[in-house]
Amino acid sequence: MKRSYLIKRILYAVFIFFVVLTLNFFIPRIGVHDPAERYYPPQGGMSDIEYEIIKQFTREQYGFDVSTFQQYVRYLRGLLRFDLGTSLRPGSPKVTALIGQRLPWTLVLSVSTLVISLVTGLLFGTMAAWKRGRWQDTLLLNASTISVALPSFFIALMLSFYLGFRLELFPAYTNPNMVAQFHWSWDAIRMVFTNAALPIMSMSLGGIISYSQTTRNSVIAVTNEDYVVTARAKGLSQATVLYKHVLRNALLPLATRIGMNIGGLIGGAIIIEQVFNWPGMGTLFLEASSTKDYPLMMGIMLFLSAFAILANLVTELLYVILDPRVTVGEKR
Amino acid sequence: MSKEGVLLLVAQRGGSLLSFVGKLWQHPQGRLGLILAGCLVLVAILSPILAPYDPYDVTQRAAKGLRPSWQHLLGTTTTTGQDIFSMLIYGSRVSLPIGIGTGVAIAFLGAVMGVMAGYLGGFVDNLIMRVVDILLVIPTLPLIIVLTSLFGRSYFVIVLVFVIFGWPGLARVIRSLVLVLKNTNYVKAAELAGASRWYIMTKHILPGTSHLIIMNTALTSAGIMVAEAGLSFLGLGDPTAISWGKMLAEAQGGGALLFGAWWWIIAPGIGIFLSVFSFMRIGIAMEEIFNPRMKASSSIYKLFKHLNNTYLDEVFRSMEEEESVVREPPDRSDAPTPEGCHG
Amino acid sequence: MADTGLGVRNLKVVFPCPGGVIRAVEGIDLDIHRGECATLVGESGCGKSVSALAIMRLLNTPPAVCRVDKLWLDDLDLTHLPDRQMRRIRGKHMAMIFQDAMTALNPVMTVGKQIDEIYLRHSQLSRREARQRTIEALELVGIPEARSRANSYPHQLSGGMRQRVLIAMAFACVPKLIIADEPTTALDVTIQAQVLDVLKNMQLVHRVSALLITHDLSVVANMADTVYVMYAGKIVERAAMQELFLEPLHPYTHGLLASVPRISDERQPFVQIPGAVPHPMRKPAGCYFHPRCPRSNDLCRQRMPRLEGPDDGRAVRCWHPLRQPHEVRS
Repeated sequence: MKRSYLIKRILYAVFIFFVVLTLNFFIPRIGVHDPAERYYPPQGGMSDIEYEIIKQFTREQYGFDVSTFQQYVRYLRGLLRFDLGTSLRPGSPKVTALIGQRLPWTLVLSVSTLVISLVTGLLFGTMAAWKRGRWQDTLLLNASTISVALPSFFIALMLSFYLGFRLELFPAYTNPNMVAQFHWSWDAIRMVFTNAALPIMSMSLGGIISYSQTTRNSVIAVTNEDYVVTARAKGLSQATVLYKHVLRNALLPLATRIGMNIGGLIGGAIIIEQVFNWPGMGTLFLEASSTKDYPLMMGIMLFLSAFAILANLVTELLYVILDPRVTVGEKR
Repeated sequence: MSKEGVLLLVAQRGGSLLSFVGKLWQHPQGRLGLILAGCLVLVAILSPILAPYDPYDVTQRAAKGLRPSWQHLLGTTTTTGQDIFSMLIYGSRVSLPIGIGTGVAIAFLGAVMGVMAGYLGGFVDNLIMRVVDILLVIPTLPLIIVLTSLFGRSYFVIVLVFVIFGWPGLARVIRSLVLVLKNTNYVKAAELAGASRWYIMTKHILPGTSHLIIMNTALTSAGIMVAEAGLSFLGLGDPTAISWGKMLAEAQGGGALLFGAWWWIIAPGIGIFLSVFSFMRIGIAMEEIFNPRMKASSSIYKLFKHLNNTYLDEVFRSMEEEESVVREPPDRSDAPTPEGCHG
Repeated sequence: MADTGLGVRNLKVVFPCPGGVIRAVEGIDLDIHRGECATLVGESGCGKSVSALAIMRLLNTPPAVCRVDKLWLDDLDLTHLPDRQMRRIRGKHMAMIFQDAMTALNPVMTVGKQIDEIYLRHSQLSRREARQRTIEALELVGIPEARSRANSYPHQLSGGMRQRVLIAMAFACVPKLIIADEPTTALDVTIQAQVLDVLKNMQLVHRVSALLITHDLSVVANMADTVYVMYAGKIVERAAMQELFLEPLHPYTHGLLASVPRISDERQPFVQIPGAVPHPMRKPAGCYFHPRCPRSNDLCRQRMPRLEGPDDGRAVRCWHPLRQPHEVRS
């Protein structure tokens, strides 16, 4: 029975992906009669005929010389081959290649942030819940209210200022040679993480506090449940009660939270990458937008959306696996 | 929706809005939030009066990069000699209207969609929920970057995207609540009495969700203000406007970090912080008002810290059995008691 | 000495709160002999469940504050036992059956595992042996196909079966005392009867003492050897079951019994006890029952009566009981 649910959810995800990619296709074409004008805006000092010829070139080069529908079909075919298009950059690199180059660097930041936030958050949160009403708990509460109102890029700037410029502990701007000089050695890896330290710190602070708060609330709510009293009435050790009964239940709602956050993992690094000039997908995207490199931009958009859809799907399925109460079928 | 329907909607919300403000005022955190938010709104409205200099004035070459002084409370920018304090004040004119305006628009759309989906069910529900699913999946920040690239940088695009992608979140939450309200007795009674669906939705269901809507609006506005700061930081907003996010970008670009001009960075940061903080306070206070259980439990812990042992001993002593009184033979008459004590 | 059963002396529980103090239990004494089934009867809010949790030492100090003069189980003095040692006693020598089986079971753990862990904790059995004992325990309470049922989750079982699982959990290590808090309230009448049978059976076969908490007099009639009637935190009457039903001494008990409608009653209006239970923070002066008692007078309004009666027999807390306890002893 669970298998049909699985298939249903996967199909639904595919459907959503399809809608999204269609939107993705049409967005650059909004309000523009001739896409070639977008790709090659009129420049002064060119006669109309010259411009027409250039536009025709552009059209042929980028495939606008056929009808929109045919372009759409070509686009879909390309997607099946994982071809997201060709960038407008000099050298016409493939979008997929560019993404492949920069994605690992973003993942360095995102994955580290996720791991740090999660682990620290769970620990702090459980401790705050266990020591309810004491200073650890109040500290968390105050930290929560403050950190929520401070945007991560502001924290980034502060860290960059104090730890980067003032104390010179970490580089405030990413070393531009970091990518070029990279090879698999301890030295190079250490350099990467030294450069990554400030960005990771900026991103994880908010995450730590948010996960702590959620964990704390969840643990407290569960500790008040009857089955925890039952567990204690059975004379089980404190460790057993905590791990098998309290945490097993308290971490369930957390799983959905994590899933949602993973969806925005890559896109969320955009601003921070900009602050530190980190060579990841975020800066790639911003470069594309400032040079009006539409294929690259839309390619990354699609990639991010696909990633979000996948993350959502995995979270849903994970929840079904983890919580035996969830009966497959409609869960809305 | 008919005109009367719309009016009813606004009237319902309006009436309950005042009562919410009243309840918020009672709550200590809520009061703080209200006062702060109120001050910020005032600052935004009265900016021209409050700002000592014209923040747009980029002609003061001589006054570039000044440190804070009595003449320039927060110094001036290194690039153009603009007075930072005035810029700070004027920055509220971007964040607050965008935050509040978007929040209200999302509240409206989200509530309407949520109520319709939840109450009408069936095809309408399905349709709305599919749209919600799709909208929730698209990452908004990249989308805004794309759109501003296509259509030019402006706050209009930003607000539009926020609203379009913001209502699904609220709609989902409202819909869950509506599904519960749908089965309450008073709704069923109204249905049996023959009330039209519009009537039920506006007079019964919607008021039931009003607390959720308002709480959500406060929190959403706070979130939007943070997001707007981020977008302005990236330079995607109106290039001619002054906003806190943009100030931060200019600070970084203008070498504030290098020259140690921390006030240039802290000022807009505090601006963002205060505006977000105040609205979050309001939202959280509302949540505590409507969900008193969470608040009550933590106050018990505080109570215990201050609990007096002697007081407890007193209480326990009062429960002891009375000293043995020699029992009169049972004669049902009122024997006069030597000293009256209370049990 | 080894058969003294459960003894409670002067148990008090209060819950401090912003407006004052909730006086939940005001000094109760209990004596339950080995193999005896005692019931604690009273309306909601009289402090019965709190007493049960207090006896098991399961009340957390915020929000509750407990005091007890003496608490013992056979030759174990539990009065000042530190929690670590109390944990060895709970589940093994003292066990509890909770009221709502749905919320009392961990929803993400199979019922089998929840019983296994009792054996794994309190004895040196291996996992396989523990599972074997679990299956036996489930069979003993009448759960069909115990081997496969053990792998079910609580929400997959019916209400009656869940309750039986709770009973199996409580009897797993054959404790000296079982406390059952309203074990049948959430069940249909027919299932109630079955569950009570199981309980009675287990109790008789293993000579387990039981403290049964209920507000349902039919359960009392079915199960009890001794009855303690509780009102507003105090014990107001103590009697052997039949004596209580035949001749209640306290006006409250009398009212309770009279208000149970019987099919054989001729067409008569329902008897009610007028008024309502006092608020646990604002109890009246004097005897707590006096505002509702048809026999009250000035004495009752001013002084709280003591619980009087021969030591091991009937006792009543009233200035004007229907009959004096020593008169009833035949």
